[in-house]
Amino acid sequence: MSGLIQLLNSHGIPQDFVIKAAFYFIAALTLLFALFVVLSRHIFRAAVYLAVVLTGIAAVYLFLDAEFLAVVQVLIYVGAIVVLFIFTVMLTADIDSGTFVGTLRRMSVAAVASLAIFFILFKVINMVTAWKTAVPAGASISLSQLGKSLMTGYALPFEVISLISLAALVGALVIGKAEKR
Amino acid sequence: MIPESHFLILGAALFSIGVFGVFTRRNAIGILMSIELILNAANINLITFSKFSASPDGLGQIFALFVIAIAAASAVVGLCLVISIYRNSKTILVNKINLMKW
Repeated sequence: MSGLIQLLNSHGIPQDFVIKAAFYFIAALTLLFALFVVLSRHIFRAAVYLAVVLTGIAAVYLFLDAEFLAVVQVLIYVGAIVVLFIFTVMLTADIDSGTFVGTLRRMSVAAVASLAIFFILFKVINMVTAWKTAVPAGASISLSQLGKSLMTGYALPFEVISLISLAALVGALVIGKAEKR
Repeated sequence: MIPESHFLILGAALFSIGVFGVFTRRNAIGILMSIELILNAANINLITFSKFSASPDGLGQIFALFVIAIAAASAVVGLCLVISIYRNSKTILVNKINLMKW
């Protein structure tokens, strides 16, 4: 991100405006494709739209100075989980059977419920007036800092996560194993 | 710069869209995709608070890393269950799956 800012400064473009425009564009795109994910009639297309949403969220992480998280997001979500979704869609039949979205009545009830949830969250977010807009200088966390705290202060949860990953691996093998006939 | 509340509103909108997907989808894979959306909304909130908190020590980012790992594990197990259910009952529509019904 800092390289981009230097480039903008050298050309006399107001960097604040460009960064804001880029953020709102990416946020709108992410929300639009998230709607496509839940509304698409074809589950395969929904998986591809999900990849776009996850990439957009990785870009949002860049605006939050979390470069490592953005890389992890692209690697794990877009690289692994979306591929897994696509494989599962292909292994299970009737991709195009058009019956994947619920009835109109259920859709409207769900729309009202989720809009109510969003409205409540929006109100609560706007109720707090003390949100900070300025970031203290040098507040972003470097990668080495992150790695050090993962290996020192948060070593136990790190090990627990590796145990959970192992358990998920073994569980997936056991559940997905073909039965003997 | 971009105010903190706009990141939070983005997270809230993503969460609501995910909830809508969980409610409306009949396909088990679609429900799992919506759950991924919800987990990503939580991650956006965690990283936002990590950046804007008074003493940023990276705790939010570490927590988000853990959430990503858990989400990956849950997606693996969930999709494996979907394949297993499909193998047994030839459908992944959740209203057709009644193996556990008496």
